[in-house]
Amino acid sequence: MDSAREEILTKVRASLGRGPGSPVAPVPPTARVKSRTPGPLDAEIEQLFIEIGKLNGTTRRLVSKDDLKSALADLVKAEAVKKATCWTTPDLTTSDVAGILEALGVKIVSPQADKHLVAECELGVTGVDAALPETGTLLLRSSPERPRVVSLLPRVHLAILRRTVLRADLHQAFAEAKDAGYCVLVTGPSRTSDIELTLTLGVHGPKSLYAWLLDAP
Amino acid sequence: MSQATVPIDFRTNAQHVPPKMPAAVQKATAKFLGTRAALVEALGNDLWQTLRQASHDLRLHAITHLDHCLERAERAVIKAGGHVHWARDAAEANRIVLEIARQHHVKKVVKSKSMATEEIGLNHAMEAAGIQVIETDLGEYIVQLKGMGPAHIVVPAFHLSKEEIAELFREKLGVDAPAEAEKLTQVARMKLREEFLSAGLGISGGNFLVAETGTIVTVTNEGNGRMCTTVPPVHVAIVGIDKIVPDWESLTVLLKVLARSATGQKITCYTQFISGPARTEAETGPKELHLVLLDNGRSRILQSPECRETLLCIRCGACLNICPVFNNVGGYTYGYPISGPTGMMFASQILGAEVAGGLAFASTLCGACNDICPVKIPITEILLHLRHRVVEGDEQERAVAPSLLRAGARVGSVALRTPWIYRLGSTLLKWFQAPLKHGGWLPKLPPPLNRWTMVRPLPVFASDFRAWWRTRSREAKGPQ
Repeated sequence: MDSAREEILTKVRASLGRGPGSPVAPVPPTARVKSRTPGPLDAEIEQLFIEIGKLNGTTRRLVSKDDLKSALADLVKAEAVKKATCWTTPDLTTSDVAGILEALGVKIVSPQADKHLVAECELGVTGVDAALPETGTLLLRSSPERPRVVSLLPRVHLAILRRTVLRADLHQAFAEAKDAGYCVLVTGPSRTSDIELTLTLGVHGPKSLYAWLLDAP
Repeated sequence: MSQATVPIDFRTNAQHVPPKMPAAVQKATAKFLGTRAALVEALGNDLWQTLRQASHDLRLHAITHLDHCLERAERAVIKAGGHVHWARDAAEANRIVLEIARQHHVKKVVKSKSMATEEIGLNHAMEAAGIQVIETDLGEYIVQLKGMGPAHIVVPAFHLSKEEIAELFREKLGVDAPAEAEKLTQVARMKLREEFLSAGLGISGGNFLVAETGTIVTVTNEGNGRMCTTVPPVHVAIVGIDKIVPDWESLTVLLKVLARSATGQKITCYTQFISGPARTEAETGPKELHLVLLDNGRSRILQSPECRETLLCIRCGACLNICPVFNNVGGYTYGYPISGPTGMMFASQILGAEVAGGLAFASTLCGACNDICPVKIPITEILLHLRHRVVEGDEQERAVAPSLLRAGARVGSVALRTPWIYRLGSTLLKWFQAPLKHGGWLPKLPPPLNRWTMVRPLPVFASDFRAWWRTRSREAKGPQ
């Protein structure tokens, strides 16, 4: 195995006329682009929601716990949710999303449960670690409280975000997330145009994406 | 052998393109080009050109510091708990993946769309070893059921109608679904869901590999890429050594140009950043990650300063969409999974002039590909150099054009420079063509000249140019 490594690196160096210790030039400044200047927070949120809407996502602003309760009740009804799974981050635990869902008669499946059980859920609820207004993009990290499958296996993905997660652009989001081990940018529900270029939602990932801004504890 | 050794005959393949192919191709390419153009307009051309230049400069920086970037990425992947393998060629890459599959007693593999795995013929090698490989990108799944390869690097099944796909599903999956995109997609979702959950290994490619953190970046829309790299316990990523970028800051530029150029999206639905396996026991995600760094001729492409920029390609497919040749023949004519201008450049170098040198000629050199390329590859200049390589040979390969053709070219060159030979030739040609004439045309010529007439007739040789020029000048002056 090592011989392949040495051979490839030797060939690459020979092709480039470089040696093992050859100096490395910095990335040229022409290869960089400027970062975006964000607008006022409310305008940023507005833009985020518009972009998510354009990509067939559904957005909603919630200003109180009661709002959250009624929004969840609407969602459970609209999407015929019987089973749900939910991130267990402090933020989602504090807002008691799982508790509200249970009170609505939804069975809560642990996000750490076997993948077959998580796949049976109609709804997966996650938080959001960064949001990018320009493209309507949500950045989700991975950790024991943030299992990757929650935003992937269920038919419906509900992402609950806070004002504090808005970022100007990828430059800023990446600066924070690059050492995370894993993250995913989610922009709208799963989609394809592979059959006769007809846009179809929900190929393998969620068919519906809900992004709610929660302005309450 | 996992790589083609039979010469690719583009010209003959082009004779067998069904008429529905250009119709389907042009419908798709027009759509992609249209949405792309609207997004470029929204950005403003100045910003777009700045982004293209930045993309070019940073890709060039990456490949001209490839040894450094690769070592850096390797260190980072290992530090993150992943395994790094190096593959000199297709056969070695396939052996590595097979060995990993065997160690884990894998019977079934789910795979997301990857041109690197198409290049090495991975599916074939795995299936020969008794391991089932399931393509999970909807388009790839369809062409796999059909027993074909991708007809376009971004939308592999764009040439099949929904009726044909419904029939295919009926025949191969035993599912009776109406010929509607929505219903057919649901069938595939249901079928593939079972496969994702039961597969022992997930295989992906990588759109980029970030040297800084050893991060594998995948850019997808359907979610199958996420499934393949999240649900099975082991993830193998096969990434060409050319896919490397120095750092995350580079991604802010490349992600902007990639989706816009490929599908006319600002950003794709899912962009994943994978640095090593799941970090803790409690975290979902693969417990084991293997990165296979594939050379397969790339280090040799790097050797030629004229052709080096072939490796800047980010496989967006924009050059396919704009190419007048691709638009009329579709992907299969190129005899290689990566088609269009970028495929021609890549294949004729990876497979060698002997096998794929002819592809360098499958272009009008109109240059539309140069203008649309988001990383500013001088595609036609590279194709011209590759033509030169085929006909005259260069430091990498000896000439492979038929000796008769090369001799013919030399004779032609002498004849055109020597007036008396030229005059004699003109007279002789008039005599020789007489029995072959059909009206004003020569519909059939003997080999090797039939390479021309199998595609289109040759106009008859009407006159000696010098004689014609004299008459013309007299006529132009006219009777005054």
